[in-house]
Order: sequence, then structure tokens, then C-alpha cells
Amino acid sequence: MSEMWINMGPQHPMTHGLWNLRVRIDGETVLDVDPEMGYLHRGIEKISEDRHYNEVITLMDRTCYVAGLAWEHLYIIAAEKALRIQPPERADYLRMMCEEFQRIGSHLMWYAAFVQDIGLMSPFLYGMRDRDLVLDLFQSYTGARMTYEYMRVGGVRNDLPPGFTDQARKVLDWLVPRFKEYDQLCLGSDIFHKRCDHLGVLSASDCIRHGVTGPMLRSAGVKRDLRKNRPYSLYKEVDFDVAVADGADVTARYLVRMEEMRQSVRILRQVVDWLDAHPGPVMAETVPRWMGAPYAPVGREGYLLKRQYPKGVGFSSIEEPHGEAQAYVVNEGGEHPYRVKFRSPVFANLSAARTYLVGYHVADIPPIMGSVDVCVGECDR
Amino acid sequence: MASEVTAKEKPGEHPVLWVARPMATAARQFAKSLFRPSTIVYPYERLENPEFRDRLEVASGKPFGVGQVWDNYRGVHALNIATCISCNLCAFSCPDVCIEMVSVPGGDPKHPKKCPQIDYGKCSYCGFCSDACPEGCLTMTTRYELSTPKRSEMIYSPEKLHEIFRSKLPMNPIRLARPENEDAILLDPPLCIGCNACSRDCPTQCITMLDIPKPEAKPGEKLPRRIWKEPVVNDSDCVRCGTCISVCPKECLFWGTRK
Repeated sequence: MSEMWINMGPQHPMTHGLWNLRVRIDGETVLDVDPEMGYLHRGIEKISEDRHYNEVITLMDRTCYVAGLAWEHLYIIAAEKALRIQPPERADYLRMMCEEFQRIGSHLMWYAAFVQDIGLMSPFLYGMRDRDLVLDLFQSYTGARMTYEYMRVGGVRNDLPPGFTDQARKVLDWLVPRFKEYDQLCLGSDIFHKRCDHLGVLSASDCIRHGVTGPMLRSAGVKRDLRKNRPYSLYKEVDFDVAVADGADVTARYLVRMEEMRQSVRILRQVVDWLDAHPGPVMAETVPRWMGAPYAPVGREGYLLKRQYPKGVGFSSIEEPHGEAQAYVVNEGGEHPYRVKFRSPVFANLSAARTYLVGYHVADIPPIMGSVDVCVGECDR
Repeated sequence: MASEVTAKEKPGEHPVLWVARPMATAARQFAKSLFRPSTIVYPYERLENPEFRDRLEVASGKPFGVGQVWDNYRGVHALNIATCISCNLCAFSCPDVCIEMVSVPGGDPKHPKKCPQIDYGKCSYCGFCSDACPEGCLTMTTRYELSTPKRSEMIYSPEKLHEIFRSKLPMNPIRLARPENEDAILLDPPLCIGCNACSRDCPTQCITMLDIPKPEAKPGEKLPRRIWKEPVVNDSDCVRCGTCISVCPKECLFWGTRK
């Protein structure tokens, strides 16, 4: 049979977003793939150069629409390093809580989309139902379900409302048995194993060569998690394990993400207990007015230069739900960042598609791409 | 791995069990959901309705988002025109430039009172404007239904925002945690020309122009042409809006910390 190229995307249920996977097939066998990204490019890095340090946070929520708080955390660490501001301890714990809840929310979203890809309908509803509890928690203290705008340079916007920690514990208690149910629904069925085992294998050396990070790297048996290897925020203080699996296939990625959610629950229990016991300020004592909140005119450029602002650069890298994200903020003085650069883990994970798709069948592409956890907003920025 | 269900426990089992085991879990969920559904019938049941959410119980128990904290939701703004001081901070802080200050009746005719008019076609509901509002007169409410057949109706005038304020919707009670150092407005005296612009435009009238002594001109030296007055800021009344800084023609006012 003759070979041909087909387009899976940009409008295709497999893509989970707006990108195009060109596939060269011979019958049912995939011979070559060519991922095309960039349909969702919004120029976030360039827009950031024209905004106050705090106003960039509104863009961070839109960078990744399932893990907004993790991206806020990423940017805030870099911006605070560039501006030389130290946040109070409680703000750091609040940010960790945000990130871990966001990890659970993002992985539940991934679970719902992934089981859809392999043809299961009810687990999709269970995943979305339980994600809603996490969103309810976010709404209770940030005021929004998706675009949170919670973190600020020098701290966070507000403290937790009364009764939050009790409810957070209730949600965690509800979630843990649900993870077991998810496993029963997926791993308990041999159909799942027949569909997903030994599929989309990406070995550890290939992962490292292509810069693939996050659950995909850990599913290949590499024990690398930035929360352990290069602890940022206050991850040194909490106790957790790195989720690793062998096999480097779709099932292994499922196992890693499920275990990561359990570890997130473990972290969250410690963090919530700490937050209960240590009330305190959530905003740094001294945040110069021109750096952001609250907002006011800062005078003309002549005065900005005259006042000898501290200059500097900030770099941060965090373990985002999809992988290792990095941010670089250059502060050349003035109210706007001079340059902002982000490194998206999904871009690297998608770019390696040729390595883990070639040789499998066309019907294997949706489960394999589903196990990658694609978020195109963050990939294209 | 801590996973309790291991793969392929019994290799030789009957294929019906492949399907039956997960389906038993799903059936359990189905039976539970008959008594406590996970969803609400939206247009008829509303989460922002306190009577409804008090008796609401979904499959996962009582959801937190529908408790009293639903009031924290950031929706359409409410504006109290009476307490607005026209300081312009909301318009300045808006990342999407969707706020325009328009004149409203009231105020003295020389300096008309200006209140925010919000274009909801652009608004991203970030809440920076209500964070920046020094008087707390611009807040966000739980209203979220905005659909309209006309694009021009997406622009809410101050009067329309005031109506939302009067409708007594729950306001977002979350306020920004402000840094403790509230920077003060400082003056670079040699640059000042005593023009009175800052004092005239200050929305809280906390700037007074005080006379300063006119120095004696030394022989051969020319005194600058200026009014011999200098602004003095009353820090307790100042809302730190920065209007004086932006109107100063000589750039002699700036943010700093008063020693």
C-alpha cells in the first residue's frame, strides 16, 4: 500500500488543544510524524515587557489554563529574585499549597481527558467531578475558578478565609479513596492493559536527549523531581517521595501521575497543618510602590532613572504538573521587566513525538498523546 | 509503587471479569449518584442563591465553594458613586485598559467628578481595580451573566455599576494584603515652581501649599522665576493615588519613604 501523510489536527479530539500532528502512514503503521505547534501563540513574553511586574500574573493564568497557579508560582519566584524581595514564610507555604492543589487538579484533568482517549466514559465524569472540589477550594480564597491572579510580588493577595483548612482536609479525605477507585476502573481491567502496556515507549536516554521532563521522564525510571533535586520555595521542609515507575510506556505514565497525586495529598496535609499553626503576614513588609501593588503612577522616566533602582536578573525552575518549567526575568530598572522568557515542558515533550510514535499503529496515537498531557496554551505561550 | 491494584492478578481468568470488575465500581458510583447527584440544574438552581446552597448536598458531600465563600467570587463590579473620589487608580491599574473615567453629575463644575466606566468586552476580572481602590467603593460581586445581543451594551456606565451596588449583591470581601510600608510622596524642593497643580488635583485635598521664604539674591545671581510656595502632604489623609506625581509639570514629586 502506498504511503501518505494525514493531518491529525488542528481540530481533532486527540490534540487536546490547537496543534497539528502530521502523520505519515503505510496502512495502519506510523512511519513518521511531524508535530506542528504555534497555533496558539499569543506573544506572552513580549506582552510581559509592557506590563508592571504584578500585571504579568494575569498572563500567567492564561499561559496554562489547567495549571495557572503553578505558572504564577514560577514567574513570581523569578520576579522576586530579580527585584530582590523576600516573601514571608506563610506566603511561601500558601504558594506551595496552591501548587500542590493545582497539581492534583491538573492531573485529574489529565485523567479525565486520558480515559476519554482510550474510550472510557464514566471515569471521565468522576475525574471532572473530583476536580471541581479542588476548583471550589481555589474559588474560596482566590475568587475565581480558572484565572486566579492570586500571587503578588512580595507575597500573596490575601490570607485564607476562616474554615478553609477544615474544608481542605475534608477534600483530601474525599480524594484518597477516589484514587483507589480510579485504579479499579483502569488498572483493574485487562482491557486497559491490553490497550496501554508497552505503548509509546520512550527510554530514559531518549528522554534526556530530547529534554523530556516531568512524569514522562519519571515513568522511564529516572528519579528526577525538582522539588527534591533543586528544592525551591520551602519544599525542603516537607516530607514526600518522588513517584517513579518502570516501563516508560503509557501505563507507567498513568502510575506515575496517580502516585504523584497521592504524594501531593501527603504534602498538602503537612502544609495545611503548618498553615493552621502559624498565622502571620502574607505580604512582605517592604515592597516598593513602583514594583506593583497597589498601583499608582510612578512619575516619568527621568525620575525612574534618577532613583537608582536595583537591577538584576531572576531565574527559577519549578516542577510544574507537566514537567520542568523555567522562567527568566531581567530587571533593568523601571516599572516593567526588560525581558521575560519562559521554558515550557510541554513543548519539549511534544517535540519528541517522533521518538515515541513511530512504529505504532494509528489507533495507538490518541492514548499515547493522551499520556503526554498536552497543554497547548503553555506550549505555544 | 503504592498502587493497591496490581496489573494482571490472574492471567487465566475469564474475559467477562475484565469488564465486570471495573463495572462493579462504576455501578457503585451510579447507585450513590441516584440519591446525591453531582450536578445542579443551573438556570433553576443557582449557587449564588443562599437558600439553595444551604440545602445543597452533592455526591462529594457539602462543597466548600457554595458555602459563604461563594461571596468571594470575582464577577461584575459594583460602584458606589457617592464615595468615589475620582482618583483614577482603577483605570491606571487595569491591565486590559478597559476602564475609562467618565464624568458623572455632581462635584464642582470646575473639576467634574469622574467615575469608572467598564467595558466588559475587554475585562478579564483580575480584580486589580478593586484591589487598588483606596476607598473601597469599587468592588466585585457574584453576578456573572453578561450575555447581550449588542456589543455596546457590554460597556457599563458608572450609573449602571451603581445600580448593581444598590441591588445588594454580595460583594467580594477579600481585600488585598498591602505591604506595611505605605510609601509617602516626597518633594525635590529645588525643582518645584509652586504651581499648585498637585494641590488643585488632589482628590482628597490633603496637599496644602505653604509659603516659603524668598531667599536673598546674591550679587550676580538670578533667582528662579517661581511662586514661593511648596506643597506639604498630609500623610494620614493621603490615599497614595499618585495623581500629584502625574500632574506635576516639573517632575519634582516622587515616591519615597519618609524618615
